[in-house]
Amino acid sequence: MTLMKKLNILSDAAKYDVACTSSGVERGGSGKGIGNCIAPGICHTFSADGRCISLLKILFTNECIFNCAYCLNNCNNDVKRAAFTPEEVCTLTMEFYRRNYIEGLFLSSGILISPNYTMDLIYQTLYQLRYVHGFHGYIHVKSIPGADPVLVEKVGFLADRMSINLELPTADSLRRLAPCKSRNTILKPMRQIQNSIDASKQELALLENRLYPGRGELAHWQETPRFVPAGQSTQMIIGATPESDFQIMSVAERLYQNFNLKRVFFSAFVNVTENSDLPALPGGPPLLREHRLYQADWLLRFYHFKVSELLSEDKPDFNIFLDPKCDWALRHLEFFPVEINRADYYTLLRVPGIGYKSASRIVKARKQSVLTFSDLKKIGVVLKRALYFITCSGRMMYNTKLEEDYICRNLMGDKTQIPREIRESGYRQLSLFDEGMIAPDSSASFQKIIGV
Amino acid sequence: MKVLICENSIDGIFSGVYRAYASRYGHNNIRLTTSDALESFELFCEYEEVPVDPECSRKVADTLRARLGQEVYYDICQAISAGETEKEQRKNMNKAEAVYKTVVLGLSMGQGFNVLNCLGNPYVARVFQLARSAGNEAHHLLGFLRFSELENGTLFSRIHPRNNVLPILAEHFVDRLPMENFIIYDENRKTAALHRKGSGYLLAAVPQADEEFMNRFSEKEQEYRQLWLEFFHSIAIEARKNPKLQRQNIPKRFWPDTVELK
Ligand code: SF4
Repeated sequence: MTLMKKLNILSDAAKYDVACTSSGVERGGSGKGIGNCIAPGICHTFSADGRCISLLKILFTNECIFNCAYCLNNCNNDVKRAAFTPEEVCTLTMEFYRRNYIEGLFLSSGILISPNYTMDLIYQTLYQLRYVHGFHGYIHVKSIPGADPVLVEKVGFLADRMSINLELPTADSLRRLAPCKSRNTILKPMRQIQNSIDASKQELALLENRLYPGRGELAHWQETPRFVPAGQSTQMIIGATPESDFQIMSVAERLYQNFNLKRVFFSAFVNVTENSDLPALPGGPPLLREHRLYQADWLLRFYHFKVSELLSEDKPDFNIFLDPKCDWALRHLEFFPVEINRADYYTLLRVPGIGYKSASRIVKARKQSVLTFSDLKKIGVVLKRALYFITCSGRMMYNTKLEEDYICRNLMGDKTQIPREIRESGYRQLSLFDEGMIAPDSSASFQKIIGV
Repeated sequence: MKVLICENSIDGIFSGVYRAYASRYGHNNIRLTTSDALESFELFCEYEEVPVDPECSRKVADTLRARLGQEVYYDICQAISAGETEKEQRKNMNKAEAVYKTVVLGLSMGQGFNVLNCLGNPYVARVFQLARSAGNEAHHLLGFLRFSELENGTLFSRIHPRNNVLPILAEHFVDRLPMENFIIYDENRKTAALHRKGSGYLLAAVPQADEEFMNRFSEKEQEYRQLWLEFFHSIAIEARKNPKLQRQNIPKRFWPDTVELK
């Protein structure tokens, strides 16, 4: 089989993995080999679905002995199979990287022969990249569920980020749709990786203070060995199983707190196997729902929100018409208005239309001079959202009422509440109602909002 | 009012700043403007052209680095490298003036490294805005720029940026590809960054580019482009197809210089 054909099959099979970021590690060039990393990551292009392409995202092989119902590669499926050799993956990575097509490699795999056999192939590939080719670019690797901890450890010292997909939000769903996997084969290595990251960080601190002589592995590919420096991430499929947003976000929150994950990704379910256990989703993948989950995820990671503030057993799903922050603000009007020239950073973070960057700019700028609404605009505050919730030197921007219905009506008139990319991606309103999300008072107003 | 006219470049504007300080007219009585500015001459103003003087420029740079810190210095340089359309130029405060008055404010403050936080100040706000737009484009191009392998193994890239981001890009790629010979050619400014493996880079004016040389690709070049195209197309999810989002994320003006979208 030609390399072209393999690349076709094995990138096609990798595309449902959503993570493609190259962020989280800053590493200057070595002056010798090839490659460096910058902390915010770099997008190299955007595919026809509008998603960022940063890494060469491929499977090592799409052969698989497992039978996960949602996955095209499952062993009962009749699809074309292929497998790379470690050398082929290295050549593609190096030649793409030199031409600045990519930031690095995202290597995942189906399970060939056994978890250990597969994990070892991945190890060999990474080893060659780091040692034979002197590659210092970004590597994200998927750990194979059920692989030996020793192999996981070895791979972790070659990768920048590792991930193990949680796949589905609850153990029940996992049992039903991925019978070869279990919470245990997922959470155990997740814990192991977390512990190794911590240990590696402590070692590094000791090394820097010269209290510890190091591992003695002199010829490591980077000066000081670091285990998964960009941290670990995971992914959940959204909409294949009946969990509520509340359940999903609570799982995400626990993963951040207990496993110290860098990112939890959500992947709107695309029904590729036409398995009768899975929902048909005639309206296409639940993109708006995925979008709301990501917005809420930001609120957890950068805005100090807790899931219990956003959702509850009684209100288990996000409002589709308003972003979660606006939705929260409307239910907590007692918190507003916030005075821009006095409120502390954490209070500013809670105002719709004020991002975390703007909040910190406000705090710095107001030390130098009293801020006005036009200053806020320059700082990057989205005034059309913020204006209902703030005062500058005691004054509102316009004569607006601090009243739920009134603000809600005005905010919903703002088209960006349903992001353009979703409004315009042939997103069909039906799918939203199908999923039992809250219907608006009148469907007429809904149609006005999304402009259909 | 005295108006100093300086070249629209880092050295040009820094020379202007130096001259403004040296003249001792008082900062309230001096204004700076770039020579390409579209303003009409005013009656009661005295105009003076300031020649580019690398020595004066270096002194200003050293002062800014020492008193305002490396970060502020970097942002100011980035603001100067920002390119503006005629419309933007007409609408906004002149770049040289914004830089000059920001420097004056910074040097008068106790903690000069805080100067770019004073976003309530219109001069600072302008510098901040310019730096942000140049910085954004530079960051975009770190990803969107493409190299092709020429016959002799050199990597060659052609770009058409709005802002003068070549130095930022060159520094990034020298660090990333230390063992490659590469050329990045800014066709809008007819300038190229040249890098020889194992060394630093230099910027050169290229008034007459050798098209023939730039199009003699290596044998393997086509093959890797094809592989990249294959990957680019098969990685997209059909059910999520969204050309508008794609265009929003990678604006059309970058497309012709890529491999996959041209
Ligand atoms: S383990 Fe499951 S999800 Fe992974 S490739 Fe095999 S069938 Fe697909």
